[in-house]
Amino acid sequence: MTDGSDKPFFSAQGLQKRFGQQVVLEDISLSFERGTVSGIMGPNGAGKSTCFNVLTGVHKPDRGKVVFDGEDITGLSSPRIARKGISRSFQIMSLFDEFSALENIMVALPEVRGGLLRPLWDTRADTVVADRAAAILKSVGLDGHERTPAASLSYGQRRALEIGVALAPSPRLVFLDEPTQGLGSDGRLRLADLVQSLRDTYTLVIIEHDMEFLFRLADRISVIHWGQIIAEGTPAELRSNPWVRVSDLGKVA
Amino acid sequence: MLTSPTGAPIVTKAMLVLFAILFTYPLWAKYVGLYDYLGIEIAIFALYALGFNLLLGYTGLPSFGHGAYFGVGAYGYSMAMVELGTSPLVGLLLAILAGAVSAGLVALFLSHRRGIYFALMTIAFGQIFWFLSIKLRWLTGGEDGYLNVLRPVVELGSLKIDFGSNVTVYYFAAVLLALMVMLLWRVVHSPFGTALQAIRMNEVRARSAGYNVWLVKWTVFTLSGAVAGLAGGLLALTQESAYPNVMSLHASGFVVMMTLLGGGFVSFWGPVVGAALFILARDILGAATEAWLLWYGLLFIVVMLFEPEGAVGAWRRLAGLFVRPARREASPKVVP
Amino acid sequence: MGMVSSLLPHLINGLALGLLFALIALGFTLIVSVMEVINLAHGSLFALGAYIAMVIISPDLVMLGAAGELYGDLPLAVRYVIALVLAPLVIAVIGFGLEILLRRTYGKKKEYGLLLTFGAALVFEEAIRLVWGPAERVLPVPPGITGGFIFNGMIYSNYRIYAMVFGAAAIGVVWLFLNRTPYGAIIKAGAHDDEMVRALGINLPRLRMLVFGFGAALAAVAGIILTPIWGLRPHVGVDATIPAFLIIVLGGIGSFWGAVFAGLLVGLVVGITGAYASDWSILSMYILLIVVLTFRSRGLLGKKTALEL
Repeated sequence: MTDGSDKPFFSAQGLQKRFGQQVVLEDISLSFERGTVSGIMGPNGAGKSTCFNVLTGVHKPDRGKVVFDGEDITGLSSPRIARKGISRSFQIMSLFDEFSALENIMVALPEVRGGLLRPLWDTRADTVVADRAAAILKSVGLDGHERTPAASLSYGQRRALEIGVALAPSPRLVFLDEPTQGLGSDGRLRLADLVQSLRDTYTLVIIEHDMEFLFRLADRISVIHWGQIIAEGTPAELRSNPWVRVSDLGKVA
Repeated sequence: MLTSPTGAPIVTKAMLVLFAILFTYPLWAKYVGLYDYLGIEIAIFALYALGFNLLLGYTGLPSFGHGAYFGVGAYGYSMAMVELGTSPLVGLLLAILAGAVSAGLVALFLSHRRGIYFALMTIAFGQIFWFLSIKLRWLTGGEDGYLNVLRPVVELGSLKIDFGSNVTVYYFAAVLLALMVMLLWRVVHSPFGTALQAIRMNEVRARSAGYNVWLVKWTVFTLSGAVAGLAGGLLALTQESAYPNVMSLHASGFVVMMTLLGGGFVSFWGPVVGAALFILARDILGAATEAWLLWYGLLFIVVMLFEPEGAVGAWRRLAGLFVRPARREASPKVVP
Repeated sequence: MGMVSSLLPHLINGLALGLLFALIALGFTLIVSVMEVINLAHGSLFALGAYIAMVIISPDLVMLGAAGELYGDLPLAVRYVIALVLAPLVIAVIGFGLEILLRRTYGKKKEYGLLLTFGAALVFEEAIRLVWGPAERVLPVPPGITGGFIFNGMIYSNYRIYAMVFGAAAIGVVWLFLNRTPYGAIIKAGAHDDEMVRALGINLPRLRMLVFGFGAALAAVAGIILTPIWGLRPHVGVDATIPAFLIIVLGGIGSFWGAVFAGLLVGLVVGITGAYASDWSILSMYILLIVVLTFRSRGLLGKKTALEL
């Protein structure tokens, strides 16, 4: 799948998910191209998080298919999806608080993860592993903070580390779940720069609330509302989309 | 983390200190009012607690029924010696196997849980094992115990090892403890050990980073059961019998308390310190008052409330070393 | 004589057990729903209640001197009633103390509270063992409710029937408390919501303490009624804690009727196992717990809470 074949890199078709009586996702179909930055947008309660969770293996969809690089990954558990090369960050920060920043990254490295059957390998002493982890820390702007315990980092730094941990397994596709959550305008600018710097290496999918952020960075955006995709297209196309205007999504830049 | 360029070697300074104390113990014990048998007990419980702390301190899984695997090991050794007439080494191997198998079976039920439900299941299984060991008299001898597991005399060529002597048993236990210390040290510094701690801190994240959390938990539970089995087998060797009481909730509580009082939450050595303190308290306090266990339990509560890092944590604070372990041993403190 | 009628005494036994289990579980679930604390020492309060009742009914008269003589002359039934009222009060106070102890663990990792109450349970059991010895003791019960009668060829125990009635009445009292008193209303409305409670002007720490004490008292009452059936030994605390958990898991946390129905279910299972293999009846509880926890983590009627780690 290295040529420009017409199959999308990642696609979801006809996803449906209900919790009890409540239908949260209804016939969601999405697709993302390799090497792009895609956005998923929508107001609170629209089903973004559930959609995300279904795409990353936290929930199984009641109906529908999820296909990644030609492979059907519907319903696989999140560890297995992770091993296929899909990675995610969390909206409510989910770090290993007692580990240092470097150790947070190290834990997620595939060599460490795959090294469980090597009981005599001392991970702490391995400089190759440490260097790789340090490089990733640097790529998210946290060089210098290797030894700081994750719990002691500032909020913005933790957000960056959150992304760093998602990048550690050298994923092919990275899902970022509301990465600007809680950040001030400075933080958002820095985050936007970070995302820009990553786009050459990773395929990104970003769920966001903050429309300006998405509009600036994403190549294509899907809009979810009431559990359905109500619009889809480039930022320019969406600006003139009546649904987007009408629905309660806040101001368009 | 990047503090030790050579990382954790096979033998550390702390280990050497321990080994020095351990292997010279019989020479100076009597001068401080101690004796060989006590040393054996300390070694046995240190072993037990070290394996146990893999589960509690490192992975954060509270097992309140671990006495089951300790007891199974004791019975396993006893039955091997009496029914099969094997050498003590084979007997202990069977004890390890018995501990591992029983823990492995139980872990099938537990490995997808943590917290209170995990704890409850361990209690329930512990009670079942305890109950069975009392009721199945034909197998275990019931409350009267499985007796006459005589200490053997082993001949290796022209060398005769008489396990009847407490000193011999002590050195045997000390060697096993030393080997286990080195083995477990490597394990906790391996990727597996890192995975354990990651799971303790954030299971969900570990899972989404690709770890098969269920399998890791199953493995650590089984491993700690195997170590408990070994310790139990050693106890049976030492006291020449196996009894159901080690499987009671009460007795299972001992290993929890000694591990944490020693500092199992923050240090690899916590369990060893805790085991020594427990046995010493039992002997020294116990001589002064029948209520020693009550005081010990109260001490446990006080420590849990005010100094959850236990003895090692307090020591570090006193010695001016702050808890930011150069080598991340177990979890650093809980933020108060 | 059909299978059913030969089972009847055991059914009654099961019902009696079930209602009393439900009582323990109710106290437990009240505490949990207000504080999200798992009190592994709940069974200890059960046991202690029974032991203290025993002391109140038949104290060391010599020590009490002249007043003791007067007291000893009171009919057993009177002393029994006094114990039934007084012992739960004492246990309620102990419950207050326990709650105060646990305050330090609020907001910390759940494991701490767990370990702490586990330690407390061990301390209680040890204290009981020291004071009253490890051997089984007897809780004196007024002659009116002992003995039995024969009905349809089967022997029935008066005491079991009394236990059943008392249990049902006690559950009724709890229901009244929850549904007919202001405090009860608050608890029902999910009083673990701090802000709402404070907005209503209620002192949350005091409420917690009271609920804890009330739950403890319920456990004590259950202990006084149940131990003549089960036997009074230091270990009985653990055997009381397990059904409480089992019932909460089955019936859901914070659910009144869930606790009652699940309690009846568990009691019947234990009672009927007792019909066929009496030694193994307590074991059946543990097996049931494992089976239930293996297959469902949510109760039948209750909601998911932070306990589901």
